[in-house]
Amino acid sequence: MRIPQKVKKFLSESRYDISFVVEEDIVFLKGRVETYEDWVDIGLKIGSIKGVNGVVNDIEWDGKRENDFEDLNKKSKRSKKENLGEYEIVIIGGGIIGCSIARELSKYELDVALIEKEPDVSLGQTRANNGMVHPGIAPSKKTLKRKLNIRGNAMYGELSQELDVPFKRVGSLILITPRTMEKYRRYLPGFFYKFFLKHVLPWFVKRKGEMNGLEGIEILKGEEIFQEESGIVDDVISAVKIPSTGIVDPYEWTIALYENAKKNGVDFYLNAEVLGFDKEEGLIKKVFTDRGVLKCGHAINAAGLYSDVIAEMAGTREFTIHPRKGVELLFNKRLEDRVHNCLAELKIPSHPTSKGGGINPTVHGNIIWGPTAEEVESKSKTSVDKEEIHEIMERYTTILPQFPKSEFIRYFAGVRAASFTEDFIIRPAKKVKNLLHVAAIQSPGIASAPAIAEYSVELLKDMGVDLRRDDSFDGERKSIDRVSEMSEDELKRRVEEEPSWGNIVCTCEMTSEAEIVEAINRGAESFDAVKRRTRAGMGECQESYCLLRIAEIISRELDIPLNKVKKEWEESQFFDGIVRGEEP
Amino acid sequence: MMDVVVIGGGPSGLAAASEIALKGYEVMILERDDELGGLLQQCIHDGFGTILFNESLSGPEFADRFIEKVKESNVDIKLETYVKSVDKKEGCFELLTVTPEGVHKIKSRSIVYAIGCRERNRFEIKIGGTRPAGVYTAGTVQRLVNLYGVLPGKDPVIVGGGDVGLIVARHLYLEGVDSLLMVYPEDFFSGLPRNAQQCILDFDIPYRNRTTVKRIIGDKKIEGVELVEVDKNWEMIPGTEEICECDSVILSVGLIPYSEKVEELGAEIDKETKGPVVNEYYGTTVEGVFSVGNLVQIFDYVDDAVKTAYIVADGVDKFLRNIDGKRKKSVKLVPGDKIRTVTPQRIDYDEGKEVTIFFRPDVEKENAEVCLVSSEKVIKKYRKKYIRPSTLEEIKVPKGLFDGEKEVIIYVL
Repeated sequence: MRIPQKVKKFLSESRYDISFVVEEDIVFLKGRVETYEDWVDIGLKIGSIKGVNGVVNDIEWDGKRENDFEDLNKKSKRSKKENLGEYEIVIIGGGIIGCSIARELSKYELDVALIEKEPDVSLGQTRANNGMVHPGIAPSKKTLKRKLNIRGNAMYGELSQELDVPFKRVGSLILITPRTMEKYRRYLPGFFYKFFLKHVLPWFVKRKGEMNGLEGIEILKGEEIFQEESGIVDDVISAVKIPSTGIVDPYEWTIALYENAKKNGVDFYLNAEVLGFDKEEGLIKKVFTDRGVLKCGHAINAAGLYSDVIAEMAGTREFTIHPRKGVELLFNKRLEDRVHNCLAELKIPSHPTSKGGGINPTVHGNIIWGPTAEEVESKSKTSVDKEEIHEIMERYTTILPQFPKSEFIRYFAGVRAASFTEDFIIRPAKKVKNLLHVAAIQSPGIASAPAIAEYSVELLKDMGVDLRRDDSFDGERKSIDRVSEMSEDELKRRVEEEPSWGNIVCTCEMTSEAEIVEAINRGAESFDAVKRRTRAGMGECQESYCLLRIAEIISRELDIPLNKVKKEWEESQFFDGIVRGEEP
Repeated sequence: MMDVVVIGGGPSGLAAASEIALKGYEVMILERDDELGGLLQQCIHDGFGTILFNESLSGPEFADRFIEKVKESNVDIKLETYVKSVDKKEGCFELLTVTPEGVHKIKSRSIVYAIGCRERNRFEIKIGGTRPAGVYTAGTVQRLVNLYGVLPGKDPVIVGGGDVGLIVARHLYLEGVDSLLMVYPEDFFSGLPRNAQQCILDFDIPYRNRTTVKRIIGDKKIEGVELVEVDKNWEMIPGTEEICECDSVILSVGLIPYSEKVEELGAEIDKETKGPVVNEYYGTTVEGVFSVGNLVQIFDYVDDAVKTAYIVADGVDKFLRNIDGKRKKSVKLVPGDKIRTVTPQRIDYDEGKEVTIFFRPDVEKENAEVCLVSSEKVIKKYRKKYIRPSTLEEIKVPKGLFDGEKEVIIYVL
């Protein structure tokens, strides 16, 4: 059956009246459904049809509130005329993907610019990620995810040396417990159920990994599991250890890429939102932003959650992003010794709306639980409710029953940019030949990022970009030194040279004044930007001791009054007003 | 080699340092801030010292009395000093300190921790919603207003009816913030009655009891909160949610002892007080390591917190002089029915002295009988006119009462 027939067949069974068009293997849907869930469901079903290359889901649903596409006309009016320059390549989006591509392109003799609508890089889905560098066991064969995940994972070790950002190959354990196949338990007598979980299922998991090209996978049983991870629930039946799984701090990584790309000549335009394109003969010639206009030879759509909006602006919609929220719980560093591997309990079938997630260590010593997975209407919905906190506490406590689950220090959420085909969309746009989509990058996006950058450059070459190596490229980048990581002698020397190394501002994370000043010198203009670069404020007390002390340093270094110091955006100034009789 | 290093230059640390120095020991005091006085420096309201000095002093005035004492004595004062690590060595402790003047190793025979407490934040009480600018702890606001002359906002919601919240509310009101709302989950303000009267009721500041913040609203800057009513057990009552616009949220939702450092040294932590377990001389379960003030438990009055410092001086003295008067097995003091916390948690010495025991009731009651029970026998009874969870109570146990006991349970009848 060809795609139109398959779509038609599926839609004829639906209780709604949905019309569709198929063009170059992209399915365009129109109609109306009652609920958002139905909107997601239909999109996913169409997306799973073999051969479908993208789903543009323009079905309306009752109670729809936001529309990303409605105000595109209004948007274009905000654009500024100022000329920002001419570039061979303009990257749209400063997340881990945009910044990885920027750095990769900085190895060549090209004029490259990156545009980011937020005041800093890594502020979209990148920053709310748990930092797991997946091994590549989950994606199914023939997906782009599988290919790029395994390659990307392998690239992390060397890159982490160059960028001076911690990356740890901690390994992961896929745990098989009596709850793994609970749904099927009634079909299998007790003995067979256990036998299957102990001797057959782990072998299947291992085999799947090996088929994907992973090496060194081991099956653990009994005592071996507890030797690997002592806190695991007693009734665990077997476990599959994958050695190549790693962890990284996603925003530290992205900031490092940003700094290194900048050093190698990429121009970054922060606080610049793309508002429209100027096209000639089907090619993008200019990119309009609220900071000015960039002329370009090629453009890259790495706009994450908003990549479908960028595609629409460019006149080449080929996919719709359906936002999928994930909540994480972050635990106190003092629990560091309790978890060494990335842990997940295998569930078959996986939870319908919230598959995945687990318990991970982080490179900084915090333990992180999550994420959940929930389809949400709004791309900016990162709020976390009490029920969600409890949901995470309950779900993962089955793996580590002794873990003090109430000792979390923070919770947060991010939104994944999922497409209905559920694979990465990395290809030249169908209707705009000089636009490269690098879109729908959700899990395992972090793990794949270095390989995505490489692959994107290959595609650009095919698209006609002339790639000549730039001999002056310097891939080495140094991170801000940290008192918490210094030896006694090193610290002694530094304090003698510069006393502010000895002024500890954040006592939970042991961050010195010198580190904060260095972050500001490197471009941090807000409290959160300083925080991401230095970890000040990320400890147990969650800023209650150091907030004012850091704000004071920012105020001094940027020469602005204390009540003009912002948390992140222009609109997020901390304080308002002065005490009677005081001069501002 | 120092005899004693006191970590923390707040009122309890200051009092401990000067008392111990009076006994002729070499004492050093370490403070992370650039001045002594601790939290009192940001508490410019009065009401401090009513117990100890029979006067009503402001925070800095109260602190000054102890700062003067320390300066008059032979105490070595180190400011802007961060203790990076403490290692237990043969017969002494080795501290590694970091200061703008340099990195130093300090050896000491004993340590008194007086590092106080920190404020609970929005994550610890699971407030939902977004994470925008505009959510502060009350202590941060006190510091902001009093030391920097800047206001947190013009339309704040204050969460928590404890003393710090009450005082911050009044202060903001007096500084020209007239659109204030205080919410708290109890039936009545949990702070001292005099503070409730003088800070909120006298100024007609609007407040809502049995109410808490369910969610914070606003992506970049806070735009409002969703308030919800709560029942007796502080559980939210569905259907009572209400949106309230505001430009800041100020949290005064409790304090937690900074016990992580003592715990790392191996000291046992009390799950209820969240501070280290101490004996009647405020010694922790690690020989030579003592703990005083709000690190032991949260006191209502700084005067009471300082009392622990006077007592610790005798304990440190005993330790340094190697006086062995310890019982073979210490007597455990255990909170029983309707009691939340008891300090000290152990009686280690049997030379006998009157012991002051602090306890926090878990019940509101008039004419309460507080009983000390050992092996199911009441060994002493006290009568209290009125007790409630928000007021820390004390009883004095006469000499010799604990002799021969193993475990004494304290409960309210």
